[in-house]
Amino acid sequence: MVVLRRSVTTQLALAYGLVVAASVALVSAALFFGTIGVLNRAVDAKIERVSNRLMQNDGKGPAYAVLARRINRLLADGINSDTEIYLLLSPGGRPVAGNISTWPDASTPFSRPVTRHVIRVGRPSLARIIVRRLPGGARLFVGSDLRPEALIHTLVVRALIAGAGLSLILVVIGTVYLRRQIERRIAEIGRTAREIEAGDLTRRVPSFGDDEFGRLGLGINRMLDRIENLMDGVRHVSNAIAHDLRTPLARVRARLEEALRPGRSREELSEAATEAIEGIDTLIRVFEKLLQIAEAESGMRTRSFETVDLNRVVHDMVELYDAMAEQEQVGLTTSGEAPVLALGDRDLLANAVASLIDNAIKYGGAGAQVQVSASSDSRCLHLTVQDNGPGIPSEEIPRVTERFYRLDQSRSLSGNGLGLSIVRAIATLHGGWLELRNACPGLVARIVLPTARDAADEDSPTRIA
Amino acid sequence: MRCLVIEDDADTSRYVCNGLKEAGHAATPCGNGLDGLHYAVNENWDAIILDRMLPGQVDGLSIVGKLRDLGKRTPVLIISALTSVDERVRGLRAGGDDYISKPFAFSELLARLEALRRRACPGQESMRLQVADLSLDKRTFQVVRASQSINLQPREFRLLEYLMRHEGQVVTRTMLLEAVWDCHFDPQTNVIDVQISRLRNKIDKGFSPALIHTVRGSGYVLAARESAPLAADAP
Repeated sequence: MVVLRRSVTTQLALAYGLVVAASVALVSAALFFGTIGVLNRAVDAKIERVSNRLMQNDGKGPAYAVLARRINRLLADGINSDTEIYLLLSPGGRPVAGNISTWPDASTPFSRPVTRHVIRVGRPSLARIIVRRLPGGARLFVGSDLRPEALIHTLVVRALIAGAGLSLILVVIGTVYLRRQIERRIAEIGRTAREIEAGDLTRRVPSFGDDEFGRLGLGINRMLDRIENLMDGVRHVSNAIAHDLRTPLARVRARLEEALRPGRSREELSEAATEAIEGIDTLIRVFEKLLQIAEAESGMRTRSFETVDLNRVVHDMVELYDAMAEQEQVGLTTSGEAPVLALGDRDLLANAVASLIDNAIKYGGAGAQVQVSASSDSRCLHLTVQDNGPGIPSEEIPRVTERFYRLDQSRSLSGNGLGLSIVRAIATLHGGWLELRNACPGLVARIVLPTARDAADEDSPTRIA
Repeated sequence: MRCLVIEDDADTSRYVCNGLKEAGHAATPCGNGLDGLHYAVNENWDAIILDRMLPGQVDGLSIVGKLRDLGKRTPVLIISALTSVDERVRGLRAGGDDYISKPFAFSELLARLEALRRRACPGQESMRLQVADLSLDKRTFQVVRASQSINLQPREFRLLEYLMRHEGQVVTRTMLLEAVWDCHFDPQTNVIDVQISRLRNKIDKGFSPALIHTVRGSGYVLAARESAPLAADAP
């Protein structure tokens, strides 16, 4: 019983079996009472009709002799001779004509079909009989032997029992099959879950086709893809921390240790402490960037999305960087005034644009022209930052969005190799992606975003670029 | 300024209290939420520095909430290791006046605290600002130094206005980013330094004395004095 109670499939199968059994019983009952009832009513109607005909064939009421003659004729005509029952009793209770030797007693109600045991042609039989009273106290019995009906009755009952039995067997087979099917599929999902639990995150639920289980499996697989992605991100961050944060930490530590050597002046000590604080601040900034990427990639911030004018964002960021562009002798321009509306997080989008402008100024070099714009077409919104600097070698393009990845020639410049990773994570969070392409000369960095309407329609605005 | 410092980490608390004392303020440390709530509600403070996560049943946000429920307008600066923007928004919604994430530079904390105090006793926000021979008129968008009109771009105007409104106070790069450019992120490079240097070229170059001073490790101060206030330096 414990096993039965614990298994949902068994419960389902059992419930299904019970429902089918109950419906079979109901159908059988309906069929039984339907057929037998109809037969019984037919018999009653027949004997009533025949007795009426016998009673009414004479305007002044039938005389014995006429009635007896008619009965004898009916008995002799060979029609229904297996079942027909007639008896005419004189007012004194003596049989005048007929084919039964015992008959219902005088207390039997008149003109209403009753079921009685009689002896017909020397054989006992169960019969349906109607008794009519004749003028002068004589009685007429008209009836029908119920043996054919009894046969049909038995036949129907047998057929119903056989049918019900067969149905129940089918139900049992069906429920067992159903149970097996459900259990097999659940077992496959369970097995996948156990394998993943054991550490193999690449396992997926096998495809069942397009039914409930198939869709459940697809849903689970999509969830697993997402988890694997996030796990990869976490692994990547831990690797990055292990490799790329040790170096600056080692530098800070070395500076401090050096400062503590004997014979250092107060100024040197304070200089070292200031530098150490700056070094630590840089590290904190890197940590914050990594956390920000993780936060964006986890898709948690889509809750705070609101309508943002990308053109406003572009102008704000250009105004933030104009002084720096002047200093670096880079031309920084923007075009377009019309609002370009997106659904997103203003701060994150501004951050992404700032990162791209920062890169363009830094790598474009003196004399470069940087053009920033927000635009839209019917399907997408674009945030574009284009420079005419040296660009990125095509084979490096896929790698520059990786965390901490830096081009060899840019290692001498300040930066932590996280800028483009953040831009990509922000674009992805907004349901878009980051495109990098060489414009020969220069680089075109473009954030492609869904229109505000599409972004609002989409259920999950996260898409892997 | 009388400050209440509600912070459970003894080192951070000491660091903040010592820094405040060196800057000439009175600081009362408090190590748990329950006492913190008690002090915050029953005494009058010029500012409260509040850690978000505290031991005991009372956390930082519920202290702010309670304080505001009682109608107390004491400026509250929240410090927290929860750095995400969502957390920051939550802190400000609960009634905090400013939010600073750990780890922080003391100068940043002090600068924000002084800005808060200034905000807490608002006078009529004047349309005309004057520092030494530099004047700024918000109505006409005119900046004049030593009778010479200076041409500023709109953002430069806002930057100068912010600096002048906080005359004599250290303002950090983060504060400038937030107030002038509405940026709540760290743009990696020294954009603010470059902006300040361009502004300096316009309002200080060729004039005496220089009004915009750099406070090393902290930020900037606009003042008629030769040097920045020492109190703002990191201890």
